This record gives sequence, C-alpha cells and structure tokens, in this order.
Amino acid sequence: MKIKSLSTDIRLLLVLLPLMAALALLSPRFLTLDNLTNVVWSVCLIGILASGAIYPRITGGIDLSLGSMAALTGIIVDMFMNRFGMHWMIAILLTIAIGALIGLFNGFIVAKIKVPAFVVTMAAKTYLYGVGLVVSQGAMLAILKPKPFIAIGTGRFLGLPIPIYIMFVLASTSQFILKKTAFGRKVMAVGANEVAAKLSGVDPDRIRLASYTISGVTSAIGGVVLASLTQQVFAAAASGIELEVMTALVIGGTSPVGGRGSVVGAIIGAIMVAFIINGLNLLNIPAPFHPIVTGVVIIVALLLNEGYLSPKKGSLGSAR
Amino acid sequence: MEINGENGAILLECRGVSKSYAGPLVLDKVDFSIRKGEVHSLVGENGAGKSTLIKVITGVTNRDSGEIVFDGTPIPIEHSRKASQDLGIAVIYQELSLIPGMTVAQNIFLTKEPLLGHTRLIDVRKMNKMAQALIDKYQFPLKAAEPIDRISIAQRQLVEILKALSSNASLMIMDEPTSSLTKTEVEMLFSIIHTLKAEGISVLYISHRMEEVYALSDRVTVLRDGKLVSVLEKEQISPAEIIRLMIGHKLEETALHHHLVSKNGKVVLDVEGLTSVGKFADITFQLHEGEVLGIGGLVGSGRTELVRALYGIDSFDAGLVKYLGRPFVPSVRRSIELGIGFIPEERRLQGILATQSITRNIGIANLDKLAPIGVVNGKTERQYSEKGIRLLNVKPPNPEHLAGNLSGGNQQKVVLAKWLVRDLKLIFIDEPTVGIDIGAKEEIYEHIKKLAGQGVSVILVSSDLPELTRLSDRVLVLRKGKIFHEFKECVLTGEMILRVASGIVEEAYEN
Repeated sequence: MKIKSLSTDIRLLLVLLPLMAALALLSPRFLTLDNLTNVVWSVCLIGILASGAIYPRITGGIDLSLGSMAALTGIIVDMFMNRFGMHWMIAILLTIAIGALIGLFNGFIVAKIKVPAFVVTMAAKTYLYGVGLVVSQGAMLAILKPKPFIAIGTGRFLGLPIPIYIMFVLASTSQFILKKTAFGRKVMAVGANEVAAKLSGVDPDRIRLASYTISGVTSAIGGVVLASLTQQVFAAAASGIELEVMTALVIGGTSPVGGRGSVVGAIIGAIMVAFIINGLNLLNIPAPFHPIVTGVVIIVALLLNEGYLSPKKGSLGSAR
Repeated sequence: MEINGENGAILLECRGVSKSYAGPLVLDKVDFSIRKGEVHSLVGENGAGKSTLIKVITGVTNRDSGEIVFDGTPIPIEHSRKASQDLGIAVIYQELSLIPGMTVAQNIFLTKEPLLGHTRLIDVRKMNKMAQALIDKYQFPLKAAEPIDRISIAQRQLVEILKALSSNASLMIMDEPTSSLTKTEVEMLFSIIHTLKAEGISVLYISHRMEEVYALSDRVTVLRDGKLVSVLEKEQISPAEIIRLMIGHKLEETALHHHLVSKNGKVVLDVEGLTSVGKFADITFQLHEGEVLGIGGLVGSGRTELVRALYGIDSFDAGLVKYLGRPFVPSVRRSIELGIGFIPEERRLQGILATQSITRNIGIANLDKLAPIGVVNGKTERQYSEKGIRLLNVKPPNPEHLAGNLSGGNQQKVVLAKWLVRDLKLIFIDEPTVGIDIGAKEEIYEHIKKLAGQGVSVILVSSDLPELTRLSDRVLVLRKGKIFHEFKECVLTGEMILRVASGIVEEAYEN
C-alpha cells in the first residue's frame, strides 16, 4: 500500500541504488567514473528512442519500426552530406523531417484506417529495412566527414559524451510534454479510455497521428546520433533495438495496455538493465546468461509495476 | 392455481430461489416454473431480477438458497454453465456467441464434431451433411458451408437455435432476441418458436416489447424488485395488465406520481426534423432554459442515438439544430466550447479514465481552461479538482485517488464533476444512476435539480421510470426512432410512460 502510493520513478530509484551499491561492493571497478560513463553512454540511443516511442505506447499502440527507421535515417543523412554535399546541419534537419513523415504515415494507417499498430509498424520495420538496403546498395558505408557531424556522437562536453546531453534534453522535454502539457494529458487519456477521452473533447485520431510522428522524429535523431557515433551506416545498424526500447519502457512503468508511462522511468529502466549487464561482465559471468537475466528482470518489473502482486487490487485497469 | 393443460408436465421448477451480490437480495424467494412445450415470458423492469434468475438457472452464477429441479433432476447449489448445457438448457445469446471465421456447420457442431472412423480427425463431409439436414428440416434460409461473418444477425440467431437443437436442448432461453431484427425477421423467428413448441421444446422468452410477449406467450411471469409478483395464464395476459403488475400500485401512489409543469424560458435548443437513417426520424422539439426534458422509451428506441447526435458524437442525415438561437452543427469539441456537457450511459466504458486520478478525470474536459497555451497550470488544475470533489461530495475526497478504485456512485460523481466545474448551459445525461447505490443516486438527483435551478437545461435519458417522472419538467417518449408522445402539464406516472413506450394505445388496454 505504501509502496503503491510512491511514483514508479521513485520506486525504480529505490531498486537502482541498492543494485549499484551491491555492484560496487562486488567489484571495485564498478564505481569508477569511466565505468559509469560507459554504461550511461551505452543506453543513450535507447533513451533517445524511448523519449518518442513512449507516445505510441501510452496511447495503447506500439512503434516497432524505430530500429529500421534509425538505420535508414543514418544512411539518408550520410547520403545528404557526402553524396549531395549538403551542409551537415541542413542534412540533419531534412533527415529529421523525413523521420517525421514516416512516423506520420505509420500514424495515418493506425489512426485513420484502424489497422493494429503492431502490424503496421512491423510491416514498416520490414520495408524501411528494404529501403535502407536499396539506398545504401546493401553496403556498409563509412562516414569520415564532416568533422562537426562526427563530433555529435564522439565528442565530449565538460567531460561527458555529447549523446548523454542529447538524451537528457530529449528525455526531459518529452517528460515535460507528457506530464505538464494538455497534449500529454490527451495522450494518456486516449490510452486510458479512448471513448471517455473522445466524449471529453479529445480527438483520438489526431493524438495518434502526433504520437507516431513524434516517434518518427526521435528515431531519426537516434539514427543521426548512431551514424555519428559509430561512423558507419548500414540497413541493419540498429536491428533489434526496438525490443531494448520496449524493455526499457516496460521496466520504467509504461503500462503494457496504455494510459500510463514515464520517460524518466524508461531511462532508469534502461540504465538498470545496462548496470546489470555491466555487473555480470565485471563478475565474469559469461554473456549467454545475460539475456536470461534481462528477461527475468522484465517479468519482475511488470509484476511490480502493474500491481499483479498486490492482493485485491485489480491489475491492468480491470479493477471492478 | 395450477391448471394442467395438454402440456401440463413441468420441465423446470424453481422454489424459493434467493440470491444476493454482497448486499440487498436481487432474488427474494422466487417461485418459477416452466411447462414442457410452452412459451413462457419473463417480464419486469430493469433491475427486477430477470437476468439474475436466468443466470441462476443456466449456472452462470450460483443461487444462495432455494431448490431448482429440471426435468426431474434436482440442480445442486454448485451449478455450472456446462452442467446446465448437459441437462438441455440452451441460451440464445443477445450478443451472439458464434465464431465468426467458422462455417455454419462448424459452429453448430463445435466440440461435438463427427469424427472419421477411430481417428481424432473431423469428418467434414459428414458434418456438413448433418448440418444441412438440420437446416432443411426446419427450412431455415442457411447454407451449411457458409462462414458466419457473411450472414446476417437474424441468420446467426438461427444458427444458435440449430446449435441448441443439435445438442437436444429441451429449454431455449431467448433474451431480447428481436432487438436487432427487422419486422420480417421477427415474424420468421415467431414461426420458428411455434415450430419449437410443436416439438415439445420449451421457450423462455425475455423481452421489453409487450406486443411480442402478448403475441407469443402461453404464460407470463412478472418479477418486481426481485420478487415474484404474479404468474398470468394465457387468458389473463394483456399488455396493460403486465405493465400494471411490473410497476406495482403501491409505488405508483408515492414515488411515481409527479406533476409536470412546463417552463417557458428562453429557447436553448431548437431541434427540427432531425433524422438519422435507421436510428431516429423526424425529431422536433424545443428545450428551454432551466428545463429538464426527460426522454423515455425502450432500449433501442433511439434515445441514446438522439443525444449522441445532438452532442456531436455521431452525424445525422437531415434536420436543423439551433443552439441559443444560432444554427449549430454539433461536434464534440464545439459543443464543449459552447457550454454543453455529456454524461454517457456506460460509466465504465465511456465515462471514466479508470487508471487515472480524479484530478486527471476532471481535467481532461477542461484543458481549454487549465492549459490555455498548452502547458497545464498545476494550481488551477488542483483547484478545479478540489472544486469538483467538494461540489459533488466525492468520497474519498482525495484528488489523487484513482477513478477506477472509486465506488460506482463516486465514479459517476466524478463524471458529472468534470462538467459542473465549467460554465454549463446544457447537459445531456444518459442513464445517470445505473448500478449505483441509493445514497449516491439521491445526491445526483439533487445536483440535476440544482443545475436546472441555476438555469442549465438538461436532457435526461432514462429507463428508470421514477427517475424520469421525478426529475423531468416534460417527457418525450420515443418509440422506434420517433417521438411517439409528449407528456406535459399533467400528473405523470411511470405506468403511463411504459404504456406509451410499449406502443399501447387506448383501445389496447381495454383488453
């Protein structure tokens, strides 16, 4: 009862901090600035993508196309700069606009034609991967210039990698929109009860369109950061990352049926998974065991977040 | 009392059956019996206990006490749906329970398919043949190999009946079977019921439509407030008598009498010739400032559809609406901006955001005020929420409490609160007190009266007759999508509304 009344974010911190303490005790290398920075760095891409992917999730849908989209937008930004000779800033802005358009298209099929989001975005994942193959001619392309572009992913500011700042800005903006704006309220309302939201003056179709568009934008930003960070682009560059993003969202308390969610929670969730993997590495536990641990963590988090374990309280909104 | 006709043998006998769902008795020592080969109607107002009695008989829920004997077999308290099916009790569901992707034959023989020899494989040819033989026997307009999703609702009902016949049902329970059928389809169903009867199958028929009950029944059982009121034999059945028994005289004299007085203030809503094909037609009325206009009628009469169209949820095909003297094309957004509110009939499905706080629930309809430039002002939001909680006495008075964890009455208060914190001019209220306790009910009535006193116009749709008569200044009764009657400046009783809603005209209740 007490625990239930705390916000999910704080509960997550209450799990994360002892976890860190335990890892620090087990391995002296854990609490070094380098190690911590590396872990946070490794979750930057997930954090950036989750900042936008959370919107379709809260409306009760899902965007599974974000991995293919990130890879494709990486290829596109490289093409704009290095084949068409565009200025890197213009290339990035154009690429983000393309991401928005793809997201809008996903949203259109989900909101207006009423095809389940799972199917729509799974199809998008497939054909965007195909488009990526076509545009890159199936090759893995190296990006060596321009210098300012490479700096986005690899540079540091005040000692911390720049992607951490990008994640921080996107996540806090997203969290602000979700928690403090009318739009955020509407997104949550559509996920909680679409009909009730509609009768209160919310237009669920427009909210869905906007949600998938936002996910497209963050996917493109993620694609740019990934391209710059790895200095190479190819159609399968971010393959499978959508599942890591969904994992972060679930652990972070975004309801699997919609209506509720937190970007901060998602990032804590992603960091938690990364720390666990990091801890397993530091403790020399072989890699094949890591996914097993992650899977168990997802289930446990879901059980705790959704109140399956608290007696009498109904779960998943079926409190009757 | 017992008159044994040629089909005098008793198929089902309930004695002193009681049931409560944590609270008052929903069934109070009900005696009920069905004879072999009779069509027996079960009638009563909403909440009279009809559905619960059916659930008890079919094993959907267990009774608390009393005996039930079916065809000589005593049914234990620990009953189950499966057990009742095995005994031969079939239910033709209102919301159909067929599997859309499967064929007629597959649905009829689901879980009892004929097998190929000694294998576990289905003999499809044999199954289709058996199904077609059954169809031909009753001359139903069906094909065995047709998929369910390609046939009409009426045809699906026939499949349900065949499914029941194929498992040798001796009792078929039909709950409002005609609610989505056309006139010819209803006639077909009636002739089928006569065929079933001729085969010695008993039919338990539940309908709000008195003319159907009158046309079909061999006997009628009337329930009121969970108690058996009367069992009418064929020669005693008349629509007017049934309605009289359903409502009851005692109640009539106290709660149901209400003197209607027209209010003639400014016209707030002026509706002319509003038509939505297949839902309602040619609806014309005026609503005045501070007036409570009741809309009565049976389920399916077009009441809900009418208010949905006026609020702007569904579009309509023809007609004119003027709001405050100006032509008005309703859309939910515009309606809200112009001071119109809407309380939907299904609180849980359409009213509340169950997984969100009271504050969020109240806020969602007021974002124009809380977030004029898009960013929600937390302080104003809190004030709105506290105001709503205070106004409606929501319990617990905790703005952060999840709406889904409130009692039904308090959920409904929250739904009402989100409109009451606004400057409201008109509110549509559809079934405001279904499934909520008496205390909360009274509070909600007080609020509706108070709203009218403040000059807000109210359109109140309700199946609860005392509620309708008590709160309304005028009552329109819809029947089959049209305004069938308007009650104004008279002493109105629930019985009068129900008579009109059932389409009974003067000569019919001479019967």
